[in-house]
Amino acid sequence: MGFRLSGQNHSRVFLGLILLAILLPWLPLGASTNYILRILTTAVLYMILALGLNIVPGFTGLLDLGYVGFYGIGAYTSGLLAIHFDLSLWLILPLAALNGALWGILLGAPTLRLTGDYFAIVTFGFSELVVLFIRNELWLTRGPMGLPGISPPSIFGHPLTRDWEFFYLIVLLLLVVLVVVTRLQDSRIGRAWFAIRENEIAAQCCGVNLIRYKVTAFAISASIGAMGGAFYAKWFKFIHPDMFKFWESILILCLIVFGGMGSIAGTMLGALILIPLSEVLRAVLPQGLFSARYLIYGLVLVLMMRWRPEGLIPFERAQARKARVAKERLKI
Amino acid sequence: MNPVLRVTHLSKSFGGLSALREISIEAKPGQIVGIIGPNGAGKTTLFNCFSGLYHPTRGQIQFQGRSILPQVSEAKAGHIRRCALIFMVLGLIWVPLFWSFFLPDALFKLELMLLGLFILAIRFLLVQGLMRFQIWAWSLMFVFLLSDLYFSIRWLTDPFFPVHLVGTHVPLGYFSWPWGLVAGPFSIYLMIQLWARQGRQLYGFRLSPDAICRLGMARTFQNIRLFFSLSVLDNVKIGRHVQMRTGVPGALFKTRAQREEEALTEKEALGWLRFVGLEERAFDPAGALAYGEQRRLEIARALATGPQLLLLDEPAAGMNARESSRLIQLVLKIREKGIAVLIIEHDMRVMMNLADHIYVLDYGRLIAEGTPDDIRSDPKVIEAYLGGGAAHAEA
Amino acid sequence: MENLLDYSSLFLQQLVNGITLGGVYALIAVGYTMVYGVIQLINFAHGEIYMLGAFLAYTLVAILGVPFFAAFVLTILICACFGIILDFIAYRPLRKAPRLAALITAIGMSIFLQNLALMIWGSQIKSYPREALPDIFFKTAWNVGDVTLSWLQVFILSITVLSMVILHVTIRRTRIGTAMRAVSQDKTTAALMGIGVNRVISFTFAIGSAMGGMAGILVGLYYNAIFPTMGYIAGIKAFAAAVLGGIGSVPGAMLGGGVLGIAEVIGAGYISSEYRDGISYAVMIAVILFKPSGLIGRQVREKA
Repeated sequence: MGFRLSGQNHSRVFLGLILLAILLPWLPLGASTNYILRILTTAVLYMILALGLNIVPGFTGLLDLGYVGFYGIGAYTSGLLAIHFDLSLWLILPLAALNGALWGILLGAPTLRLTGDYFAIVTFGFSELVVLFIRNELWLTRGPMGLPGISPPSIFGHPLTRDWEFFYLIVLLLLVVLVVVTRLQDSRIGRAWFAIRENEIAAQCCGVNLIRYKVTAFAISASIGAMGGAFYAKWFKFIHPDMFKFWESILILCLIVFGGMGSIAGTMLGALILIPLSEVLRAVLPQGLFSARYLIYGLVLVLMMRWRPEGLIPFERAQARKARVAKERLKI
Repeated sequence: MNPVLRVTHLSKSFGGLSALREISIEAKPGQIVGIIGPNGAGKTTLFNCFSGLYHPTRGQIQFQGRSILPQVSEAKAGHIRRCALIFMVLGLIWVPLFWSFFLPDALFKLELMLLGLFILAIRFLLVQGLMRFQIWAWSLMFVFLLSDLYFSIRWLTDPFFPVHLVGTHVPLGYFSWPWGLVAGPFSIYLMIQLWARQGRQLYGFRLSPDAICRLGMARTFQNIRLFFSLSVLDNVKIGRHVQMRTGVPGALFKTRAQREEEALTEKEALGWLRFVGLEERAFDPAGALAYGEQRRLEIARALATGPQLLLLDEPAAGMNARESSRLIQLVLKIREKGIAVLIIEHDMRVMMNLADHIYVLDYGRLIAEGTPDDIRSDPKVIEAYLGGGAAHAEA
Repeated sequence: MENLLDYSSLFLQQLVNGITLGGVYALIAVGYTMVYGVIQLINFAHGEIYMLGAFLAYTLVAILGVPFFAAFVLTILICACFGIILDFIAYRPLRKAPRLAALITAIGMSIFLQNLALMIWGSQIKSYPREALPDIFFKTAWNVGDVTLSWLQVFILSITVLSMVILHVTIRRTRIGTAMRAVSQDKTTAALMGIGVNRVISFTFAIGSAMGGMAGILVGLYYNAIFPTMGYIAGIKAFAAAVLGGIGSVPGAMLGGGVLGIAEVIGAGYISSEYRDGISYAVMIAVILFKPSGLIGRQVREKA
């Protein structure tokens, strides 16, 4: 893969993709337009989730196995707020994000001082506890009966019902998340995170407070996951504890490992490739085999770690590109 | 002039192995202090104690006039722990006694006893946890406290208050209020203690490495610890971390303050790279640099933190004669800036040319100290370390 | 007074069940702890080996008609080999890689194996047909008041205890056991002393997997329910047990298993049975937060 993107080309490619996204619903794809839109909406949703997860293992270098817990928290926050208080999406999104961040801090503060393996296990335990809680506390979440009848989002009183409306909405959310993640990456905080990922001890001795930055990363990651969950609840209009199994965390992890842990473009590419692929599998495989599609994800993880651990678009390449951009700017 | 660093009676042991014994060292502003000794003498361990990566077993470290180690740890902490234990035992006795008066069958409800024990154990662990300043422990303890107070008041005013423990027929109030009235005030006392700065130092809180860096101590490492995937410039920019103040809001909204700070940081970082002579490589990945250049980059990064004291751990390792001469010039330039330097080195030419004062370590003990000339002719040093090498170490 | 007897007999029955369950957890936990001891990696796929043991025994006995005890031994051997193969293809190439990579590989393997089993055997819960099992398992061995102990439980308990004893003796008294302890303390020095580190690691995997597989057979027998995701749940609980006892310490894993089994049964009985699995998670999180070295384990090493 020797294709090099200069700073200019990179933004051009990006703008081109945005244009494509805006035009997509109006392209003459015939009867399958809605189907494609739905697949892409799912793909973009997973892009958002992957970008959120990317912050923890990708930027900070810690393995988070409990991401689905925050996804679930966001979804149920959104669903319950919509059903009981009939809040609009624009209020729900920040509230869900806040709730996610809160739990991220509560979980992260005591556990981020642990070594990587223990932290991974604890996050896993947390996500399992969240699912158990959702399943059993019927008074709150209706447990295994699920939460139906969530109202769709509305803009200025007009409820969103069409697939292209949801597609635009999720692309908008993606842009917001992208701005957040990119700005964080290129700031003092992003540098501190990378320092932690590269060499914790050196980072400490350069004045980076490990706990503070790890918890911040974890909380932001959790809030993005919760936002994704909030959208999901309003889009699907029905949520159920079985949608938030541990395997979802693995899927999202797979997306970033495949695409390139730590690199934003890689993460998005990973989602763009693997999610539609999963839909293709759903169409092609018989039902029984389809539920075993996680087999492929597991295999992808193992094979990637063995032969291309840096992913499709490695972190180093993103760094090199940024350096080249800076060099052009400073004309050195 | 007051010393920048004053270390007294520093000792560090790992389990049974004693790595450092009664080390006393001083460094004054603008001084270059050398530390030499055979491999395994404990030199890097010493640096790790200074920068807060290791916790010394005994002794004091005063940096810029302030102690970076806890003042009193064992005595008072032990006292608190004993009090906690007493409260635990009291609770264990009191609760069954209380039950036997108000719930005659309760004494035989084994499972309730077990549950009670479990809750008491949690509280005990939380008390332990408070001494390590865990936010989680704080908030849980606070929740327990509130529920204790609530149930105590409810129980006192309405004894038939019917809230039950999940899945059982045990009224909740019977559990928590005896313990609550006893543990509550104690927890409040602990929390107040912890808030006061004294309390934190009293219970054994040490300054973390990043806090020590913020005070003005920077270091390089024996095994180079660069951020290899990042560019050379980014490595130095991370050094500037403690000089910057931008947080999440600033970064997210790209405020003017943030943009100005970033521009300043870039300028300063390039300046430090110029200082160590790496300006042309600013945008290369740090991993692509030659070994000698990597060592200089580490020094640039350390300098970017704006230190008063710089710890250099074997900066000349792997360098040839020309590179080490360059290094000597660099360290002298650093001294001109008023920064004190502590340097561990095996290369005698570098050491003798730079150091104003040298300490010699062997097996974790200080065996000699003095000017380079003193050290060169000290028979103890010659025996332990220099051997016939003294004759070769001409400037 | 009758009340007391009622209570105590219920309690004792729960205790017996808890100890049986605890023994099984201990068997699995020992596998985790040994592997962590030698290569400092949490082998997430260990639960899947346990599941494989259950499925293999079931396939041999119920489908292929192999007599039970022969199937028992055969399955254990196959599981041991499987452990060695797992190490060889998944973990050995990553010996020098960063921890994160090895952890991700372990998880990937675990997911892969779970779904492989799902594909091969399907998601329906399998049970042993009554005729395929030795009759004696269904008879009662001992009876005091309302507390009963079946021969099946006796079998499970005795096999568990026997394996523990053999393991303990192996680790303490034999050459390979000493080699294992050496490798877990300092790999480089062990290699310098002439110990074939890779061989020792393979052996560790073999023993751990054998015991895990054995646990799988026993649980499949005891609850008579075999399904592809059983490894994942039991694996986490066994990991909790290993952490509780002190990761890296074999007696710790045994103790942790026992404690966790009892805690789970009593907790499920007296507090809430929906959160039964949650008890293990909660215990594990609590131990990791407050005492990461566990009940017996050695101190978590300071960063250098």
